[in-house]
Amino acid sequence: MSLENPFQDPLRFERRIPECAVVIFGANGDLTKRKLLPALYRLAYERRLSPGFAVVGISRTPMSDDQFREKMCASVSRYLEDSPFDKEVWSGFAQSLFYMSGDMSDAATFSGLAARLREIESSRHTGGNVLFYLSTQPSQYATAARGLGAAGLVKGSGWRRIVVEKPFGHDLASARELSEQLHEVFRESDVYRIDHYLGKETVQNILAFRFGNGIFEPLWNRRYVNSVQITAAESIGVEGRGSYYQEAGALRDMIQNHLLQIMATIAMEPSATFQPDAVRDERAKLLRSVRILKPSEVMENSVSGQYGPARIGGQDVPGFRQEPNVDPEARTDTYAAVTFFVENWRWAGVPFYIRTGKRLPKRVTEIAIQFNSAPHAVFGENGDGTTPNLLILRIQPEEGISLRFLSKRPGAGMNLRPVSMDFNYGSSFGERSPTAYETLLLDAMIGDATLYTRQDMVEASWSAVEPVIEVWNEQKSGFPNYPAGTWGPKAADDMLARHGHAWRKP
Amino acid sequence: MSSTIQPETILRELAELWISLGKDTQPGPTSGVLRACTMTLVAMAEESEDPSNVWAVMAALMPEHPSRAIVIRFRQSAERELSSRVFSQCWMPFGQRRQICCEQIEITASDASLPDLPAVIVPLAVSDLPVILWCRGSRLARLPDFPLLARVAHKLIVDSAVFDDPAGILNWLERSSSSGQVLGDLAWTRLTRWRELVAQIFENRSYLARLSAIDEIRIGYGGTAVPVSAYYLAAWLLDSLEKAGAKARIQMESIPDAPGGTLARLELAGTQSDAMKLVINVSGDAERQCADLEVDALSNRTVFPADNDYSLLREELSITGRDPVYAKTLEWAARLANGGNL
Repeated sequence: MSLENPFQDPLRFERRIPECAVVIFGANGDLTKRKLLPALYRLAYERRLSPGFAVVGISRTPMSDDQFREKMCASVSRYLEDSPFDKEVWSGFAQSLFYMSGDMSDAATFSGLAARLREIESSRHTGGNVLFYLSTQPSQYATAARGLGAAGLVKGSGWRRIVVEKPFGHDLASARELSEQLHEVFRESDVYRIDHYLGKETVQNILAFRFGNGIFEPLWNRRYVNSVQITAAESIGVEGRGSYYQEAGALRDMIQNHLLQIMATIAMEPSATFQPDAVRDERAKLLRSVRILKPSEVMENSVSGQYGPARIGGQDVPGFRQEPNVDPEARTDTYAAVTFFVENWRWAGVPFYIRTGKRLPKRVTEIAIQFNSAPHAVFGENGDGTTPNLLILRIQPEEGISLRFLSKRPGAGMNLRPVSMDFNYGSSFGERSPTAYETLLLDAMIGDATLYTRQDMVEASWSAVEPVIEVWNEQKSGFPNYPAGTWGPKAADDMLARHGHAWRKP
Repeated sequence: MSSTIQPETILRELAELWISLGKDTQPGPTSGVLRACTMTLVAMAEESEDPSNVWAVMAALMPEHPSRAIVIRFRQSAERELSSRVFSQCWMPFGQRRQICCEQIEITASDASLPDLPAVIVPLAVSDLPVILWCRGSRLARLPDFPLLARVAHKLIVDSAVFDDPAGILNWLERSSSSGQVLGDLAWTRLTRWRELVAQIFENRSYLARLSAIDEIRIGYGGTAVPVSAYYLAAWLLDSLEKAGAKARIQMESIPDAPGGTLARLELAGTQSDAMKLVINVSGDAERQCADLEVDALSNRTVFPADNDYSLLREELSITGRDPVYAKTLEWAARLANGGNL
């Protein structure tokens, strides 16, 4: 007899989560309160969770189950995005929340967890499936993994997976070391390295856009694409994360992970299937094709920056060095721009400009693909007749896609002007898009690792940025070099100007 | 009312409408209006019904299913009469940068002029996109010439819950489906929430392993007559259980205080000692319903989303092709409603 669920109706039903328990280490932390619990609650609200679903929160703070539920209730109602808080749904969901206090360096924490999970498995029929989520300091990842292994929690009647948050190391060597530590206990296929950018609808839509439409893919190569710009701008400063950020910087915090993953999604070859490893193989292959800059090439292909104080909208805004918990002499890059080249037949010679920064004029993340101009300006220089076509994939704040093309201006004469054809996720599909954490948590529980980062991808992206970090470390910074509220240092404009390009002002 | 309408005239009016909408916007590289269209959606309504109700549903659907919307309002008259008006609905989704507009056509017709309508609808339908016909009333579906209009549509959507003869409407739908008509029934769409909940429970392997021991299905409904939805639910459950090698007995009972025509309770159980027991009790109104779920000793509570024309159509418009689960269920439901054995 088949063990397929005969009641499933994929045409109408959403993907559902199999029975499981999610164990969150760092349950009293910000990520749990702001992202993880609101995402899990939303999945409950959407009726995606199995009735026996359970969450076990662990942190050092002593709390009862009920106190944890009350605390999470306050957080979820506060941080829920684009969605109502429903007390009835919460009351059902709250019954699935459990808590235990414990120190990860203490073996008793893990034996206590094992006992708690056995109890929950028997009362809620979780089938022995457990997702461990490390919402802790990265320095505790190895301790947590070893503790789970020593307590026999990595094996059971169901599946066991572990989710880790970035940073995955602070350089190539430490990334490898972290992977080795996790692999002492978990197989690579059970390690889910979360990159919340990949969970965003538009990032996923890049795959649908490229590989679901026959008209774009033939243009997706060096013959038609002139350059690609990837921008991830934030208007805010470090917002209380000064001590963490001054150790990381923009290149490590954004480009090494999120933005290189986006670039890989934009530039990868089509995979033969949409199976997780088939997609991840292509993404990894692309990252391995990124040209490793020689030390002598770094300065002309990269720019670092740090914001200084400014007055924005009538308010004084501190520079990075004036932020709380930041060294007044900090050499941290709060802005980074790098020109990458992909060395393969499809992309040879096409520059991929990636920039990110804090205290830029607006919060925007987008990918702009600039196509080559028409080979012959048949309409002369009338109007904006030489403007190249541009495809813009907007990731935030408004997720959508725009295509800029030329159109004749109405009236006598052949004057052209650019017009934009827009597709907006929010308005075109009229429904709320799931948050990145909803998508990624659901994927991890289902066992779909397509949107998660694999060890070889992490290592390839560290290999691409490490030469830049090394050269920057040896240079005099000259920071601050851009006032808060501007589009970054002038050197970044010069970097593109050398290739005959200019940054977009999104 | 004029006696005829010309599709060319309506199309010309639509073209003029687009020009005037374009003129109303501010000049600039992102000016103008964007026309969005994924289908032609035709709604049939009684003239006595407040048209703003129908248009409100159509308008709510536009962002997700932008379409050329045609509302035909029928008057009970033996005279052949037709008239039309054209307008548009626009919204500004991109921070006031650009309007997205959809076309709306309202046709007023007498019952007697129904045979004239296919020749109007066919040229008005947007080429290469599906035509969906939503028939809002039982009287309209019973008009003798209704099949002429239904044949124009790629998909016909009705609500069998508004018909007073469940067996009759299920037979009619089954015949239409067998003859190749793609159908949607909002009475079936209302069951998605129930069905999803049942399916979710059996995603758990320990429950799934005990599925074959289920041999009793009890369905509780409001009112005195068994509603179409109860037949649908029973048919779907029987079909699904059969796939798992189980054969169950159906029992339907009226639940006091439950609103007439609605489903209020579902129980799946078995007579063997180790059989599982699943109970779903639903309470509340169309706007908000709470579902209390009990599976053996485990209980949970969830909220069903709003159940209105907009939410139901939104789901149906997402499926423009044949729905095999519905087609199979319809076949079984018609047999059940006619007292047949399955």
